[in-house]
Amino acid sequence: MNNSIVIKASNSPEFLERVLRVCRHRGFSVDSMSSQTEQPQQTLSITLNIVSERDISLLTKQIEKIIGVIEITLSKPQEIKATA
Amino acid sequence: MNGAHFVVQALKEKNVTQVFGYPGGAIMPLYDALYDGGVDHLLCRHEQGAAMAAIGYARATGNVGVCIATSGPGATNLITGLADALLDSIPVIAITGQVPTHLIGTDAFQEVDVLGLSLACTKHSFLVQSAEQLGPIIEQAFEVATTGRPGPVLIDIPKDIQVGQSVAYQVAQLAAKQQILDAQLVEQAQQMISNADKPLLYIGGGVGMAKAVPELRDFVKNTGIPSVCTLKAIGCIEHDSPYFMGMVGMHGSKASNLAIQECDLLIAVGARFDDRVTGKLDEFAPHAKVIHLDIDAAEINKLRAVTLSMTDDLKLVLPAISTNTDIAPWQQHVNDMKIEFANRYDHPGEPIFAPALLRQIAENIPSDTVICSDVGQHQMWVAQHMFVDRPENHISSSGLGTMGFGVPAAVGAQVARPDNMVIAVAGDGSFMMNVQELGTIKRKKLPVKILLIDNQRLGMVRQWQKLFFKGRYSETILTDNPDFVTLASAFDIPGETIVVKSQINAALDRFLNSEGAYLLHVSISEEENVWPLVPPGAPNDQMMESVE
Repeated sequence: MNNSIVIKASNSPEFLERVLRVCRHRGFSVDSMSSQTEQPQQTLSITLNIVSERDISLLTKQIEKIIGVIEITLSKPQEIKATA
Repeated sequence: MNGAHFVVQALKEKNVTQVFGYPGGAIMPLYDALYDGGVDHLLCRHEQGAAMAAIGYARATGNVGVCIATSGPGATNLITGLADALLDSIPVIAITGQVPTHLIGTDAFQEVDVLGLSLACTKHSFLVQSAEQLGPIIEQAFEVATTGRPGPVLIDIPKDIQVGQSVAYQVAQLAAKQQILDAQLVEQAQQMISNADKPLLYIGGGVGMAKAVPELRDFVKNTGIPSVCTLKAIGCIEHDSPYFMGMVGMHGSKASNLAIQECDLLIAVGARFDDRVTGKLDEFAPHAKVIHLDIDAAEINKLRAVTLSMTDDLKLVLPAISTNTDIAPWQQHVNDMKIEFANRYDHPGEPIFAPALLRQIAENIPSDTVICSDVGQHQMWVAQHMFVDRPENHISSSGLGTMGFGVPAAVGAQVARPDNMVIAVAGDGSFMMNVQELGTIKRKKLPVKILLIDNQRLGMVRQWQKLFFKGRYSETILTDNPDFVTLASAFDIPGETIVVKSQINAALDRFLNSEGAYLLHVSISEEENVWPLVPPGAPNDQMMESVE
């Protein structure tokens, strides 16, 4: 199943690493992604297109627990131009 | 005030009076600040021992445990302890020194990417990058470690920030959020409970972590609902509570496992459907609707689809959902199973039967004794045959199953509760994994009692080799163990060895009444195994009860 999640978070150098580790460990593949820092609030916006047989809520609930997450929104897969 | 003194001051403000650790190059400024006093430091003899002592301290008190290590190998040695604390949701703060900021990323001496290493074994971790961050990070670390589902937090502090000028930080006083339960969910839960014919409480470690033991006991008293518990929840219910059947799962009691399979409503309280509990997940509690009460929303529907869930504080939820039940036949059935499948201690011959020995000890120790278990067969025998009536009194590496846990955890527990007896129950394999902590016991003159159950084997692995690997005992024979009594004596710890039942009473008298530390080395047969056993991948009602 394909899903897209958009994560807004307080910026920190290792935040992206934390998110990707949780995705892998919980059994979700990142098909494509973009990440950018939004000035001047120093927030981070990450869009992930996710592939997994598992229910996406199993991932979003784990990502919600990462310190610094402000908001997660779930949608259908988006076209992502490679950035990051 | 430099950064290191700032850290010590912050620990004091957080009411931390005791820390465990091991010094080294990048953490020397912090040790210099500790030298001025105000926070007691216990030198453990390995950073892993320090982490596990911090866990023992935290678990014996319900407070935060703090451990300290240097960069590089000091930090990597903490990792197993942090993983242990993560799996068991224990509030631990680990403070590590790091190479100076300008050397990070240069492969400097004793540099390792501790933040990177910590990602998979902490609830959260910080690398302090400026003096301004130090205060807010320490504040947040304690907040993260202790709130919601507790867990370990690591703070990595470069040496230049420890020696540099600190920046004052004013703690923001946050108003406590008032929790309001969802009235509809409460009513629905009450209806499910009152409509159930065979409700069963499946009690997990979250009850103790939430300090909701009184609320749980009131709930059990008011509803009369039978209960089972996980390894970590031992002590949440009084062991002699009428409808309490003990531990559930792979080495759980037969009554517990059968009750799970029969119940029509399973109320999981601070429990997470671990594979060692459920056996074959698809056939776990097959007839039951499930109410799942857990502070961590990520646990809901993770392994078992539930009918109703609440992620509020158990101290509020349990009284709210308490309601009347009409379950006398089910209670009677549970009682019948408890009697029919009660533990038996008849054991022919002279060799010592460890379950009976543990039972005898449990019957002869003060009720406030702390039992710290290592990992293996003896751990399961402790869980099955000893009894405690507070979760703080049973400290066992439950989620991670960390061999070497028992002795350092007992160090932490004894430091935390100097007036209580602390018994470390170890196996000969586990004991050797952190045997250096005998040096910590000697240093602090801790009166830890060590019960070493020795079958000259890695017993649990051997048991599986016997049952599932055709008796091919690959690397589990430890007949070359050291003389443990002599080993203990090198640390000024007296001890003795017993091998037959007739030696038990006199030896226990010396063991339990010794003023200081004592090693009781108990030699048992390698043929003794842990029963019952739910084989891996089997449902819980398919227990093996002997080798035949």
